[in-house]
Amino acid sequence: MSVLLNKDSKIIVQGATGGMGSTHTQLMLNYGTKVVAGVTPGKGGAEVHGVPVYNTVVEAIDKTGADVSVLFVPPLLCKDAALEAICSGGIRLLIIITEGIPPLDEVKIQEAAKQAGVLVVGPNCPGVITPGECLVGIHPGSVYKPGRIGMVSRSGTLTYEVALSLTNADLGQSTCVGIGGDPVPGLGFVETLKLFENDPETDLICLMGEIGGTAEESAAELIESGEITKPVIAYIAGRTAPEGKRMGHAGAIISGDKGTVESKEKAFTKAGVKVAKLPSEMVELVKQELSKVAA
Amino acid sequence: MKFFEYEAKQLFREAGIATAVGSEVIHYPEEIAFLKLKYPVVLKTQVLTGGRGKAGGIKFAENTSEAIEVAKYLFDLPIKGEKPQCLLIDPKAPIKKEFYLAITLDREQKCPILIGSSEGGIEIESSGSAKIVPVKGAVYSSHYGRRLAYEMGTSGKDFQVISSIVDKLYSLYEKYDLDLAEINPLAQLEDGSFIALDGKITINDDAIDRQPRFKGQLIHHLNDVSEREKRATVSGLNLVELGEGNIGILCNGAGLTMATMDLVQFKGGKPANFLDVGGGANSNKVNAALSLVATNPQVKVIFINILGGITACDQVALPLIDFKKKFPELKLVVRLLGNNQDKARELLNGTGIEFIDDLDKAVETAVSVTG
Repeated sequence: MSVLLNKDSKIIVQGATGGMGSTHTQLMLNYGTKVVAGVTPGKGGAEVHGVPVYNTVVEAIDKTGADVSVLFVPPLLCKDAALEAICSGGIRLLIIITEGIPPLDEVKIQEAAKQAGVLVVGPNCPGVITPGECLVGIHPGSVYKPGRIGMVSRSGTLTYEVALSLTNADLGQSTCVGIGGDPVPGLGFVETLKLFENDPETDLICLMGEIGGTAEESAAELIESGEITKPVIAYIAGRTAPEGKRMGHAGAIISGDKGTVESKEKAFTKAGVKVAKLPSEMVELVKQELSKVAA
Repeated sequence: MKFFEYEAKQLFREAGIATAVGSEVIHYPEEIAFLKLKYPVVLKTQVLTGGRGKAGGIKFAENTSEAIEVAKYLFDLPIKGEKPQCLLIDPKAPIKKEFYLAITLDREQKCPILIGSSEGGIEIESSGSAKIVPVKGAVYSSHYGRRLAYEMGTSGKDFQVISSIVDKLYSLYEKYDLDLAEINPLAQLEDGSFIALDGKITINDDAIDRQPRFKGQLIHHLNDVSEREKRATVSGLNLVELGEGNIGILCNGAGLTMATMDLVQFKGGKPANFLDVGGGANSNKVNAALSLVATNPQVKVIFINILGGITACDQVALPLIDFKKKFPELKLVVRLLGNNQDKARELLNGTGIEFIDDLDKAVETAVSVTG
């Protein structure tokens, strides 16, 4: 079993008839993902790349038995779409790709998901990929290959960067989770680390963080507590970012002395986590750790 | 989008939160002669930059001629490089006590929090004496306001008034999708009444589109950023300039852009900027991004690092070729990987644009140009 998704996962694409939704429905299908339904209110009966489109999430579940939904919906419509999936009663995992959802909407989405026991990945994330089996989101499938490294990251392109180096070094990945760059994410580093710890197909975890918030410090605390026994390699972006400026991601901002790279690296080092100074150094650290495990 | 103080106070009044009676906003010092002000007054420069008081942007005046002199001085005084377009003039209030109230999002608790203190003038980030009440699931009810007023140690009439101000502040916070609603200080006057003496309101940039009242106003509220950063905002690009650097950076994705800046510094170079062209960048966006970076006179070399997920590399390559013709003296170092990368490589062949796949090597090449 891999984390969150496998080759049998059945996927609904909310917003499948839009530009992004349609493009990525095609790319997910090409990768072999079982995209079984699209949902766009008012477009029921249409088809997107051969995938039937329904008016509601509930109908899509009734007709296809899907239990994962991915959102390609414009930001101001996301709260409604996400709550529709959460309240449907049949969605176990909701992946929100959209960037630019107002934070108060995010709070309401995450709260409803918590109450309903639905896992949310994102928003503002590249989604989840289990290489060779299932891609849900916008990860470029070509940079990944199946293997035993778990990846979790707040940034999409930085994940692709590191995944590409790993793949070029013949180090494949079990699952890659983009938790997103927004201030109120669903699944965080802590929850994802626990998933990887319990996944027999993951040997080692690569974590890519960035400035802002304290998600990395919480992850370091969890590792230090002994709950994560698998080796973790970390990299944190944003050393050169000035204080008080939002660096692209809504969540990537240093406030006062909070959320700095230094604070995060210190927490990881204290927890015994190897910290890479460059993205390319992650590959070297992974090799070192794996040779220790083997010995 | 940050609001100016006088705009924040307008919103406070609309929500039923009192501010100083007899305030005026002026755009020229000479206006003062025609105003019926109740002296002494306080003149406050209207800028978006923080630390205005410490920088000398708040001054008192006893009479009209003194007020005009002070106004002239304040209009000419930049606060961290930002000059005011207007001043706010308030009658000087007899203050008995100062309080602090704010509402913002707490990332760890994943919900809005009410912050209160019976000491005014504190900084939100370092507020040891402040009391915090989380609003679970962002579903507000008045009991949260009463809880905060209690935690702040108020009683009697003060308790009633402060609870009700928190209600009103939250109504603004929710109605206008605010990132921050802050009254600092909330002043209690000698007669026991309360007024918002100063305040900060920031509306969430992603929510402006559903706030018809504020749509289109962002461009008038960017006085605290550089001209190029302003241009980037209207082009839908995210640019943050660093001040000193000479290596321009154009990249896709926030994390990779930050990592690229860090890497430039690690290799001994000086990054000039953060510029994320975003996912699925088309040639128009890349064009706009290139000219923004190129018009920074300090930039000697531009490093383009695009790792295409959604982005088509040939869409990036075409504007690069045009750009090279227009700015032949600017060195371009390019790393383009992903969709249609071979097509992009063919396009760039023979144009004198360096094309390097390995990130570390590409950065080293860019750094070596600047010596």
